[in-house]
This record gives sequence, C-alpha cells and structure tokens, in this order.
Amino acid sequence: MARMKFLCDADRCIECNACVTACKNEHEVPWGINRRRVVTLNDGKPGERSISMACMHCTDAPCAAVCPVNCFYTTADAVVLHSKDLCIGCGYCFYACPFGAPQYPKVGNFGSRGKMDKCTYCAGGPEADGSKEEYEKYGANRLAEGKLPLCAEMCSTKSLLAGDGEIIAQIYKERVMKRGYGSGAWGWKTAYRETIES
Amino acid sequence: MVSFARFVRAAVGACALLLLVVAAPAPVGAQQVNPTASSVKEQQLLQELNRIQGRVSIPDERSGVLEQPQGRQWREFHNVTLRWIGGIAIIGMLAVLVIFYLTRGMVRLESGRSGRTLVRFNIYERFVHWMTATCFIILAISGLNITFGRPLLLPLIGFENFSEWSLWAKYAHNYLSFPFTIGVVLILLMWIGGNIPNKVDVEWLKRGGGIVGHDHPPAYRFNAGQKAVYWIVVIGGGLVAASGYVLMFPFYTTGIEGMQMAQIVHSVVAVLFVAAMIAHIYIGTIGMEGAFEAMGTGEVDVNWAREHHSLWLDEQMARTGPNDGRPQPATAAAE
Amino acid sequence: MLIKRTHQHSPRQGSVVESLAARAGGLDRRSFLRKSGVAGGALAALGTMPLGSVRKAEAAKAGPLTEGATIRKSICTHCSVGCTVTAEVLNGVWIGQEPSWDSPINRGSHCAKGASVRELVHSERRLRYPMKLVGGQWTRVSWDTAINEIGDKLQAVREKSGPDSVYWLGSAKMTNEGAYLFRKLGAFWGTNNTDHQARICHSTTVTGVANTWGYGAMTNSYNDIRNAKTQVVLGGNPAEAHPVSLQHLLEGKELQKANFVVIDPRLTRTAAHATEYVRMRPGTDIPVLYGMMWHILQNGWEDKEFIRQRVYGFDDIKKEVEKWPPEEVERVTGIPGEQLKRVAKMFATEKPATLIWAMGQTQKTVGTANVRASCIALLMTGNVGKAGAGANIFRGHDNVQGATDVGLDIVTLPFYYGLAEGAWKHWSRVWEVDYDFLKSRFDSKQIMETPGIPLTRWFEAVTLPKDQVAQKDTVKAVFVQGHASNSITRIPESLNGLKALELLVIADPHPTTWASLAVEAGRKDGVYILPVATQFECKGSRVASNRSLQWGEQIVKPIFESKDDLEVIYLMAKKLGFADQMFKKIKVENNLPEAEDVLREMNRGSWSTGYCGQSPERLKAHMKNQAKFDMLTMRAPKDDPEVGGDYYGLPWPCWGSPEVKHPGTPLLYNTNLHVMDGGGTFRPRFGIEREEKLPDGTTRKVSLLADGSYSLGSGIQDGYPEFTLASLKKLGWDSELTEAEMAVINKVNPANPDTVSWALDLSGGIQRVALAHGCVPYGNGKARMNAFGLPDPIPVHREPIYTPRVDLVAKYPTLPDAKQFRMPNIGFSVQKAAVEKGIAKQFPLILSSGRLVEYEGGGEETRTNPWLAELQQDMFIEINPADAAERGVKDGGWVWVTGAENNSRARMKALVTERVGKGVAWMPFHFGGWFAGKDLRGNYPKGTDPIVLGESANTITTYGYDPATGMQEPKVTLCQIAAA
Repeated sequence: MARMKFLCDADRCIECNACVTACKNEHEVPWGINRRRVVTLNDGKPGERSISMACMHCTDAPCAAVCPVNCFYTTADAVVLHSKDLCIGCGYCFYACPFGAPQYPKVGNFGSRGKMDKCTYCAGGPEADGSKEEYEKYGANRLAEGKLPLCAEMCSTKSLLAGDGEIIAQIYKERVMKRGYGSGAWGWKTAYRETIES
Repeated sequence: MVSFARFVRAAVGACALLLLVVAAPAPVGAQQVNPTASSVKEQQLLQELNRIQGRVSIPDERSGVLEQPQGRQWREFHNVTLRWIGGIAIIGMLAVLVIFYLTRGMVRLESGRSGRTLVRFNIYERFVHWMTATCFIILAISGLNITFGRPLLLPLIGFENFSEWSLWAKYAHNYLSFPFTIGVVLILLMWIGGNIPNKVDVEWLKRGGGIVGHDHPPAYRFNAGQKAVYWIVVIGGGLVAASGYVLMFPFYTTGIEGMQMAQIVHSVVAVLFVAAMIAHIYIGTIGMEGAFEAMGTGEVDVNWAREHHSLWLDEQMARTGPNDGRPQPATAAAE
Repeated sequence: MLIKRTHQHSPRQGSVVESLAARAGGLDRRSFLRKSGVAGGALAALGTMPLGSVRKAEAAKAGPLTEGATIRKSICTHCSVGCTVTAEVLNGVWIGQEPSWDSPINRGSHCAKGASVRELVHSERRLRYPMKLVGGQWTRVSWDTAINEIGDKLQAVREKSGPDSVYWLGSAKMTNEGAYLFRKLGAFWGTNNTDHQARICHSTTVTGVANTWGYGAMTNSYNDIRNAKTQVVLGGNPAEAHPVSLQHLLEGKELQKANFVVIDPRLTRTAAHATEYVRMRPGTDIPVLYGMMWHILQNGWEDKEFIRQRVYGFDDIKKEVEKWPPEEVERVTGIPGEQLKRVAKMFATEKPATLIWAMGQTQKTVGTANVRASCIALLMTGNVGKAGAGANIFRGHDNVQGATDVGLDIVTLPFYYGLAEGAWKHWSRVWEVDYDFLKSRFDSKQIMETPGIPLTRWFEAVTLPKDQVAQKDTVKAVFVQGHASNSITRIPESLNGLKALELLVIADPHPTTWASLAVEAGRKDGVYILPVATQFECKGSRVASNRSLQWGEQIVKPIFESKDDLEVIYLMAKKLGFADQMFKKIKVENNLPEAEDVLREMNRGSWSTGYCGQSPERLKAHMKNQAKFDMLTMRAPKDDPEVGGDYYGLPWPCWGSPEVKHPGTPLLYNTNLHVMDGGGTFRPRFGIEREEKLPDGTTRKVSLLADGSYSLGSGIQDGYPEFTLASLKKLGWDSELTEAEMAVINKVNPANPDTVSWALDLSGGIQRVALAHGCVPYGNGKARMNAFGLPDPIPVHREPIYTPRVDLVAKYPTLPDAKQFRMPNIGFSVQKAAVEKGIAKQFPLILSSGRLVEYEGGGEETRTNPWLAELQQDMFIEINPADAAERGVKDGGWVWVTGAENNSRARMKALVTERVGKGVAWMPFHFGGWFAGKDLRGNYPKGTDPIVLGESANTITTYGYDPATGMQEPKVTLCQIAAA
C-alpha cells in the first residue's frame, strides 16, 4: 500500500512561495491561515537554505495521539486528516506537532481558537469525495481525482516532491548522487523516523 | 578497480570535508564563499538546538519554527506521564480516603452537640468559597475530560456526543476561569490572616492532626491541615490560573516552548490540585461530623470548635459569649 | 471509526500509486528521457524529472465540483519566463488552476504569482467602471462619456500645443497585438512620445546588445541554460524575479556539475544556491567585467579564432582592459583579484559559459555600457551563438520583449525599422495609408523622425520651461494604459508633473499609484480612470524572454465594465477620427479589433525581425501541441503534421511568410545550424566596412563582415552583406523570384527596385530566396566590440551620479551634460554638485532596489491579491547588522529613510540582515500608496485600494539617466537610515 509523503529538497528550494499560493488558490484558504509556509534558515548568510513546510503526515502522528477528542484519522495512503465537526479547537495538536502545521482561525473572544485547519495533502476530509461540504470545510480533494497536492505539482524548481514515499525518496537519492550534495530530507527523521541515506 | 574507486570517493570526501572546515571559520560576509558546499544541514541543526528556526515573510512569528521535535516529548508527557501522575494522584487519593473511611469512619463529635453554635464563616466568606468551589469542580471535570475523556468517556458516548460535550466543557473551562481566579484572589486576601504558619502548627503536625486515635491537638481558626489546603488553593490556583491564561491567549506572551511548558505546569498542578481537593471535600463532608456546617450554615457547634479549634474557640469566647442556639449575624460575633 | 476512505476507496488509491511506482520503475523510460532531457538510466532521469509527469500519465478525472469545466490556456505575464496558465472554467467562471505539464517552459511549475493569478480576475478590488475626478471626488461615468470627454480634451491640447504634447504610455502587459496597436495609435495621432516599461527595465539591454550583434534580445533560452558548464549571474536575482527559470538553472547546475557564479551586492536567494558567490560594490559592473577580461587576456584564455572570424574592435578593447589590473579592480569593486581570476578562468575555459543578467546591469546611467561590456566578455571567450552559452537576458514581463519588438517605443516604428523616412514609408505601405497622411499628423517631418521623450522623464517634460523641451510645447496630457507611476524614479518631482497636467487618463485593471499620487499632488479634476481587462480576459500573442511567441486564449470575458486593451485603443482612435485609416486592414467587431487579424498585419510588415512567419494559426497549433516539444531543444519531431520541426513558440526571427515554415530561431547567431534549422550569423547592421585611423595618421578600411565563418550549409561561405534585389542579381539568384514577388518589389520602390532589401520586400521573396541558399537574409557580419556611434563606443567605467566613492569621481566621472531625447541630461552637473556638497557624508549608505517574488512592477495588481499580499505585508529596507547597530535600528522596527534629493523621506520597516554588506541598503520597488510617511489609502476610489500599501522605493531614488536610452538609475544611489 502506498505511503504518501512530502519531501523538500532544500538545495532546490528558492522560497518562491508557489507552494503557498497554490495551496491558497486550490483550497481558497483564508488570510491568516497558512497550511504551508517556507522558512529560510541562515538567512542572508552563506549556506542559507529555504524549506517549504506543511503537515508532513507523520507516521504515528503526534497530533492524532494528543487530540483530546480523537478527531484525526489516517487514510489508506497514510494521509493524516481530521474532522472539523469533532475538533474543539483546543490547540493541543499544535503543541505536539513538530512542524507547526495546525492552524486556527481566530474566532470569538480572547485567544479562542476555531476549528483547526491544516494541510490535507489535497485529500479533503471525512465528507463524500469531491462534495461541496468537503470543499467548504477542507478544500479540494485532488487525491480522489487521481492528482497529487498542487503545492508540489506547481513547485517552481521541482524542489517539493509529493507522492509515494519510496518513489520520492528514490528521486531524492538519485539527485543527491548525481549532483554530489544534499542537505537532507528535512523533517523525515522526525516525521517518518527514517532518513534517506545517500 | 573497486579499491581505486573507493580511494577516489574517499579522496573526494576528504576534500569536501576540508572544504567545509575551511569554509566554516571564514568570517561572515567574506568574499570567498561557496554557498552550495557550506549549506546548513538538518541533522547538524537539530543536534545543536533541538529546534530549527528561521525567517518567514508572514508576520506570524510562530511559523518561523521549522521543526520542533520536542513536540514528541510533550506528547509523551501528555499521553503517558500526565496520565500516570493524574491517575496516581487522584485514584491514589480516593483509595486512601476509602481505606481511611472504612477503617476510621466519620470523625464524630466526641462530646456530642452542645446545641450552642458559633459563627465560623460569614456570608461573604461562604459566597467566595462556594463560588470558587463550584468553578473549581466544573474546571476540574472539564479539565480532566481533556486528559482522561478520550480513553474513558469517548468510548461510552461516541465521537459526536463526546465532541459536543467537550466543546461545551472547553467553553465552560475558559469562561469559569475568570470567577475562579477572582475567587482565589479573594481567598488569598480574606483568609491570609489566619493562615500564616506558626508554632501551634508544629505541635498539630507532630500529633498528626489527631486523625489517628482520639487526639485533638489545639488549633486556632485554621489548623495546619486547613492551612495546607489554603496554600494549595492559593499557590496551586495561582499557578493553574497563570498557566491557564497563557494557554487561553496562545502565543501572546511566549513561543511554542513556553506554551508546552505552560501546559505541563497547568496540567500537573491541576491534577495534584484535584487530588488535594478531593481530600478537602472528604474532610468537609463525610470525613468529619459537624465540619460541613462551617461552610453550610456558617455556624459550628461549640463542641466541634472545642475539639478541633480549641484556641480559636478561646479567642472567640474571650470576645463574646456563645449565643443560645440562635443564629447570629456575622458582624455580631466581631462586636 | 472515522476513516471514510480507507476501506471504501483504497483500491482506487492503490491503483494510482501502484502504477506510479511501476512507471517510476522504468516501464515508460522513453517518456522519462524525453521529459528530462538527459540520457542515462531510468532512475537518473527520474532524478531530474518533474514528479508531475509521472502523475500526468494517469488519466486524472474531474471531481464532482469541476465536472463539465473547460480547460483554457493562457500565459502568465508576471515575469518573462512565459509560464503557461491552465484554467478550469465553468459557466464563465474561472474556478481552478491546474499545472501546465505540457509547456516545455514551465513544465507544470509556477511561482507565487503564477500560482495565484486566478485571483487577479475575480478580485473584489478591481476597478469596476470608468471614473473621473470631480472636485476632488471620484465619480462614476459611462464609457461613452469618458471617451468623449477624453477625446475632446486631447483634441484641444493638440490644437493648442501640438500632438507631441500628449504622452502615450503603453504597457508590456498588453499582448503583442495591443502593444502594436498602441504604437500605431501614437503614429496616427502624430507623435513618437509612445513608450512602455522596457524603457525602465531593459532599454539599455536592447540598445547595447543590438549595437553589438544585431538584435536586442536574449540570445538563447531559459531551457538552453541547462547546457551550460558555467553560469554567471551578474546583475540579476532570478530566484525571486524569474523563479521558474531556476528550474532550468538549478537542474543544469546539477546535471552538468556546472559552475554557478553569482556576482551581486546582495547574497540573494539565487546566490544561496551558487557554487561561488562574489560580493561587489553596486555600480561597478564594468570594472568587474574588465577585471575578468584582464585575467583572460593575461592568460591567453580568449577564443582567438572566434575573435578573428566574428568580432570587430578587439584591439580597442584590449587597450581598455589594460587599465584594469587586479589592484585597480579591487580598489573600485571590492573584489579580490584571486577570486575574480577564478571566476574568469571558469568563464573562459569551462565552456559553454553563459552570462545572465537583468536589471542589476541595466538600471544605471552606465546601463548600455554595462551590457556592452557583458557582450564583449562573451565575445572574447567565444561564448555566443552556441548551446549553453550566450547572453541570457532575463526580461521583466511576458510581453516586454514583444512590446519592444512591436515598437511601443520612442526611437522606432514597429520591429526596429527606426524613424527615418524609409521606415515611415515601409509602414505606410503595410498599413495601406498614404505616407503624406501620416506626415500630416505630425507637427513636422523633422519631429516625425526624432525620437520621443523617455517615460522616465515624463514629468520633466511637463514641468521644464518650454524652451528646454525640443518640441512645439511641453507635455500637457498623459494617457497611460498599463503602467505604474511608482516604478519611475524621483516620485517627489513627479508630483509637480501630476499637478501641472491638463489631463491624466489611467487605463488599467486597477487605479494604480497614478490615481493616488494625482490626488496627493492636489488635483481636483482632469483625471479619468478606465477599467481595462486583465490579460486573462484578452486573447493574443505574448513573447517570452527567449523570443518564443505564445498564444493566450481568453479565459473569461472581461468582468464588470472593463474592456479589452484593443477595444480601448479602437474607441480612442474612433473618437479621435482616424479609426477608418488605422483599422483599414483589421477586422473590427463590436468595437473590438480581432487579435488574429492584428497579428496578420504584423506578420505582413515585420520582415526585419522575423515576426513574419508566426501566423495566429501556427501559434495556436503550438499551444495545442505543447506536449510534443522537447524540453531541452524545444523542438517538435520533424514528422509531426501540425508543428513538425518547429521550435516551441517559433522564437523570432522566424523568417519568411508562414508558408515558408521556418521553424524559428532558438539560439541567435548559431552558425552550427542551417538557417532553416534556426541557424544564424551576426547581423551586419552598421555598414560593411569602416575606415579606421592609424597612429601614423593614415587610414585603412576594415571589413565588418565575417571572416571565414558562416552558418551551416550556407550558399556563401564567408561574410556577406544584407540581401537586396541588387545583391540577388549579383549572385544570379534573382531569377528564382516569382513574378508575383517581383511585382511587389517593383511596387515597393518603383523608382529603384534594386535597393529593395530583405526587410522592405513585402512579398518575402528576397528572404525566401536567401533562405533557399542557406543564407541569412540580414547578412553575415562581425559583432562589434567597438560599437562606434554609441556615447561610449568602448564601455568606460563611470561612477554612479550619487556615489559613496567621491575619491573615484575625478578619475571615472559620468558623461558631460548633453541634450538627449528632446531634453537636457544634466547628470554631470548633478554628480559634481553632489561631490562638492558632501552628499556622501550626509547619506553614507548605498541604496539599491529590486524585486520580491510575491510582487510585480509597481505592485498594485499583486498587492491587491490577498494570497500574495499576505506574504509581504510591509514595505521594508534591508540593512546590514553593523549599520543597524550603529543607528540603533532593530529588525522589524520602523525607520525613516532619507534620500539625497528633494529632502525625500520614507517610513518603512527595517530588515536587519547580512544579505546586504556593510554600507549597502536595499529596498523592494513594488510598494506604493504611502508618501513621505503618509498613508494615501483614502486617495483611491472606494473599494479599489490594494490590500497592502507602503512607501515607494522611488520616493528616495534620484537623478541619473543613461545617455543612450534615458534609462533611470534606481539600482544605485545614496540614503540615510534612522530609527523612527
């Protein structure tokens, strides 16, 4: 069975933010919610690298483990999704998430959080595939249409890879072998408890 | 052939290493740099900091944290450590109390009721107590729900019901925190006078509060046990309130580490607090005859006062005589 | 429990992925190889393959929400890469974007801007209907009223002050057809004051490069950079300005194990991926290049055979290079000699090497000389006219190359014919109007043949005394269609111009900073804003930087009351009374000229540049068959019935009529190919020989034709001049012309048909015959290292007008004051005064400017898009930590930036970063809507204000104009920063 993963090849990422706006475009994500973001390390210094990050759809996902209402579930493709009907906006998944993926719309009083929102790997939510309800709550369901997440599909330099973990790992490995350098599959050890040996 | 290839690889590797070594100490802004060779590496950053942070253009500073694997430690705490602490503290306390009740039973008034009463808590004090107590119970249940609801309650009532209940519990938890906090502050102010530890407490503690056997160590208005409860409420309440507000206004004052820390403090203090309060409730209700009246009607039997707060009774008697079974306004006692 | 999909749907999910895995295992190796453009094992190919292409093979099915949607393709215009945008349209609404896998240029990819273009169309904040300023209030008017009132006012200005008093400012955002018609509108109105963005981005490139080897354009292509062994970026930050190009640059770097050298004052996002980063002082490009050439000549790394055969003026350059030994280069640029030597060696010996540049070289008073020096470096090392080499000039928009080609410019008619009588006569033949009619539209024949005023100085043309502007009167009215005012330097002074104008017309999807600054300048009336459709609501051809033409479909109809550019131009022409003449040969329906027909007219007249072969039918076939073009060579298989053998987008020159089926020219001046396969030679554009003075006082004649070099299969195996009827006769090839062709030639010049050249022959016969003999119609000449005729024929280093290195001004002063483009250029006086007044002490920081990936140009369009605006919410200035510490400036804190002229000041946030070196500050140029600390949000018509406003970089920028083009100097000036 497939195991969908993301991999950002930092030696290709140029912080063009295509992944960020592609996500906004595909799912009509509102202002203030950033399902995906690009972080630049060592900004302005030699060795600077940018990495696009969203929910990594972890193996044994911490968000799912700590959720007080158990609103997360994992699909057959190992995509970690959640039900906004069940979410109570407690914020615990954000504390547990190693990647800062969960986002909360600001609603109501003080710091009160609305239903959590995060990257769905373009795989929607519990509602019927491609239904209007699913789109309104979670955005488009590309996976059900046989397409991969738009962020990776539109990546300007093919830095962000999405797809079956073994395949994208292989692509990355080949790249590193061919060019002779690679700063690592960022987040893989944390998310999937494995690294790509190259 | 093979060994030659290996040699070449080793040599290239050595050169690359050398390059890194050379590149590393070069001063920032130096002209001769190879940004490709000197790029940052994930594992190296994680080893150094256990957190990877950078720059993002969006104003949300949280998003600058690329990776924080300590989230996994927090998860371990939340899902395992906290449940053990909470379980042991609360179930342990219940167990102790059950055993105690079965062996000791209710602490009776040894000399029976005198029929004469004494004002122990006035209406204002009782209002503050019960406001705080009510809030506390709801906060405790809604709080415990977050930690224990998923394994205990969810399977019984199902996802939808549990989420619905948890959502309301969350609202209750957030909103009742305000009266609770006010209550804690008022408790701090109104009872601090009687709760400063003194020598009598040493004696009281030495004699184990008289729990075992039929001893009645002397005490002023608050004995050492009650003082302990007071300080647990004041300090514990202060801590849960403070950490709670950090959680309620997420990221206003701190980053992800601070949030995790606040949650740890909040939850650990809270479960211990709950355990302590269970004991308090026990003593105040089925644990001791005549105790509940203190917070119920606000008046206690003189004999109860003599047995449990002899020094306080002496004080009160010195000021004014006990009434004749008629309730007296709180102010009268002070006249 | 919750899992919906696991059990019900897993088989399908599984199948998708399994077949994905199967393909990756090498089942469809051929398609992998074709896509990735490399030979080797399947996995090696996989390593560079867009993942999407694996997925693409899956027949992706529409979901319930997109069912019934039609797919339309257009082109993103935000930069010059030319990414195809694939739109899903349902019931006239653009509901989604999909990756454009088939485009050989972007292969599915986009940047932040391209991935969010859908928002531009259905933006809530677009201008919805025409408005005019009445008593300081924006008031809605109808299109009819607006056109009538504007037309009447323009006629009044014309009667009083002459046609040159109206400034027609067009746009690179228009299609070729729009830009061409806008230029034509200027011609029929009777002025050469028609300009567009190329003036402020690459006018110096066009002039400098064309003066070197014939055409002012990128010689190779983004895709071809994959072939380079050494990539040098000098004066560009493509990672932010042309992000999708980095796909080709970085993959090329990886596959070729190429050197990737970035020479820049900032450690940019591009530099972060370099194999060598060189920090230079802004404004010293020529010393850097000469410094490299010094090492090249010193070590004999130059390509001697190439120089002998194909280059003129090498000895002159040698003399100039001798003035730049490593010590002097380091003194001026700050680059150590050893590092530059290393770069020079790579550039000259690890070939093919390409030089990539953008506005870092061009936007300076020495812009033309900068790009000339770059061309010279390429010529010296033989790095032109080959795969993987060349001058890869990254233009600003996808259509700035096209708008330049179609002559939306002050110095030429369409397709670089110039402004001489012959050019006007050529176009009057193409347009089938009387030459005398055109002449009658102008104030005089003399002004008809005089270059117009550059847009960089429009406000001076309004405010200078009448006697200093060499036309009948100063400028009284500005009609701007698709240009930002905040991308022009010296905003404080432009306010005077805005105030003094009698009429300002802004035609744009957004009101732009023209509107907000006009109100700020104190205008109460005389301003009209007309809603124009975005490029996704129009159809037509656009030219990417690599000279490929791509036809964009109309994705949705113009929304609200907005109109297509072409319709606005037609309505103006109709109102002004010359629509019948101007649209004589163009079909117009419901006031909308047909884009296809406009292109056909261009085809009929554009022989000089080879826009003659790209008929709308061929371009549409290319868009339809995108998948057939090879990613690396950009060529379709020869046996394809529709696009067989063509290069993608028929990159110009695409010689002859469409029937000749020339495939286009992917690499300019490439002698390794037959001209019918896209081969070429340097263009002998400046005579065939030149008289040179020798030291002893005698003269000698030196040939400017190639020496023993010619394109593959050439019928003439040496240099040759351009083809005319006379030269065909001389070669005995004239008999191959058909009777019909001869008839046309005789009609072109009945008096002397022998002088009719390849560029003027409207039959295309001369080109056809030349091509048949394997010859390039324009001839086979030498590229010029010595570009006699330019202000600096040999590039000379000149310090910026405002330089921190006052010690160098005496040795490297700017050119003397002179009159250029109808106006005085007093750069020398300004530089001298700045030195004398000690400006560099008051304003010690060098200020440069550039692009952010999220925004484009003046930025109003992109700052209105919430998906982009969220990512850059504040105007900022980059400052080095050391400079910040000296000034008590904190990262993210507010600062005041003050400029060297007009007591200018601007409030923005500080970004404390080592991207910039000490002594250098940098600002993005996309912000607007604030002025001198004041928020101008209230000046926009209600509901049309962009989400993000901020200070314009050009509030701080200063005087300085390139003598050859009028280019401004926003890339290097001085400023001071203080914590606010």
